[in-house]
Amino acid sequence: MRSSTPLLFLLPAVALSAVVFLAPFAWLIYASFKTQGAGSLLMADGLTVKNYARLVADSYFAAAFVRTIGLSALTTLLTLVVGLPVARLIATGSGRAKGLLLALMLVPLVCGALLPSLGMIHLLGPLGVVNGTLKLLGLTTSSIKFLGTTGGVVLGLVQAFLPLMVLPLVNTLSRLPRDVEHAASSLGASPLRVWRRVILPLAMPGIVAGAVLVFSAAFTAFVTPQVLGQGKIATFGTVAYQQAALVLDWPFASTLAVVVLVAIGLALILSAQFDRLLRRRRLAA
Amino acid sequence: MRDTLSRRAIAAALAASIALPAMMAPAFAQDFKGKTLVVGVWGGDIERLLRQNVVGPLEAETGAKVELVLGGTGDRLARIYAEKANPTMDIAFLNIYEAPQALKDGVVEAPDPKSPLYTEIWDGMNNGCYAMSLVGLGIAYNKKLVSSPPEWADMWKPEYKGKIAVASYPGSEGDGLLGVAARLSGKDEHDADAAFAKVSELKPIALTYTNLDEAFAMMDAGEVAMAPMISGYVLAALKQHPDIGFSFPKNPGPVLVRDMLCLVKNSPNPELAKKFAELALGVKNQTDYAEQLYFGPTNKNVKLPESVSADVIDTPEEVSSLLQLDWPYVITQRSDWTQRWNKDVLGQ
Repeated sequence: MRSSTPLLFLLPAVALSAVVFLAPFAWLIYASFKTQGAGSLLMADGLTVKNYARLVADSYFAAAFVRTIGLSALTTLLTLVVGLPVARLIATGSGRAKGLLLALMLVPLVCGALLPSLGMIHLLGPLGVVNGTLKLLGLTTSSIKFLGTTGGVVLGLVQAFLPLMVLPLVNTLSRLPRDVEHAASSLGASPLRVWRRVILPLAMPGIVAGAVLVFSAAFTAFVTPQVLGQGKIATFGTVAYQQAALVLDWPFASTLAVVVLVAIGLALILSAQFDRLLRRRRLAA
Repeated sequence: MRDTLSRRAIAAALAASIALPAMMAPAFAQDFKGKTLVVGVWGGDIERLLRQNVVGPLEAETGAKVELVLGGTGDRLARIYAEKANPTMDIAFLNIYEAPQALKDGVVEAPDPKSPLYTEIWDGMNNGCYAMSLVGLGIAYNKKLVSSPPEWADMWKPEYKGKIAVASYPGSEGDGLLGVAARLSGKDEHDADAAFAKVSELKPIALTYTNLDEAFAMMDAGEVAMAPMISGYVLAALKQHPDIGFSFPKNPGPVLVRDMLCLVKNSPNPELAKKFAELALGVKNQTDYAEQLYFGPTNKNVKLPESVSADVIDTPEEVSSLLQLDWPYVITQRSDWTQRWNKDVLGQ
């Protein structure tokens, strides 16, 4: 009786989150099984799997799905490569430099996706800073296209989601006892070997956590691909936006959203499995 | 006692008989006090003019509050459809390709042919909702690259290959371009194969723009020669770009595009909504729309000075020279055409 009292106190909060948080998802799933009547935007009666059939039948969506996974994976890899040294610097640093780096790292998280993307347009646009400099130096006569290309979108995604990789890494790396590295070096391991055999394996939980965060964020990203892709790089997010806000096929847009939810759920389960495997191996060792 | 009572009653009645008529007027004006009219509309210059010509006077006259919900039509369409059973929005400004469908689906009020709102507007313009402004899809062009105001067919000339920009699709610009392209192939928008085949010949598209500044910057830099654009804003913005011109083509004519003012069905404040519509469609507001935004007035009573009239669609002859698409048909094709545009024109 006594142990259930705290649960009772939790009940209102749980009920509220269930309604406010879960009900829209339930509606989303419900709507994904509806269609609009011919020549109408109203949802027709009855449930159907037509939207899912369309998703599978039209190679356009499969291609967008695969492209989005590719973009997200590439973004995850690049944020890891760029983020590791930065996280290490923050973890081992001290004083003002550490605080400054950490604050700089947080800027993209604080200012949202739109502002950096718009800034990026001024840097990378055909009449932007980069192209202007190249032309001034005589390296090119006509503008090089960065916007509307896969490269431009990936660059934007890396910039936007780097903190999601760095923060978990800082967390794990700063808890690594330096003695372990010193021990490895004193036994004759080169710095590269210390990284490969000592730091990276111990940082694995942070890497997995960061990778999941970055991958999920990149997978669902809409603003960055929309702005930097200029409508030419179709990702799942931009396709869903187009269907919901421009074509006004809300049921089909719901289907796209459900697919993204399921994909992210799968990614989470996979990463949890991977994490468990790592832990078991470490215990065995 | 009785005497005093009756005397009091008489005094009260007297006072009332004097005060009542005096109170009537403010009482009427305050009928709408505490009410909030919700209007979904585009931001920027349109918002500025509406605040000045409609919101201000309406709030002063009625004591009601007017809340402008700014954004694109997709947002407010989603809202009025979602709230069909219990609307909270009173007026939604929509595009011509959305209004007839909204009427068909019963989320907006049919225009009333007997109301002065209706009769003061050019005949045949109130499709689905009340027509707010008339603009035409023409061609914006770089005067250094294109020597004279171009015709539609000029966009397909080899010397401009790779230098044509288009707006993002779906939208009026894209639908208009498809309609024109089909006609250049001797067909019309009902033949989507012909339309898309012709538009695809414009590839590679130099720029898919989502805002005008971007497109104008590329045009000023000579990287874009021509782009199908809707008069109105464009003509207003061109004051800052002396090297960019705007052509109303003749063969076929510019594609007629309209902004529509829709009264939401079963809205909470139908009377206020009607008053708002009267002011918005009224001569003062529509004159300002024309003079400042180059939006052609739909109100027949608007008389424009010569200099403004030249850039604005404001006479029956001009209206009849415009190319009218079969919008109700175009709407039904929207999903398919978006897919085809993504694949055929953008090459995704």
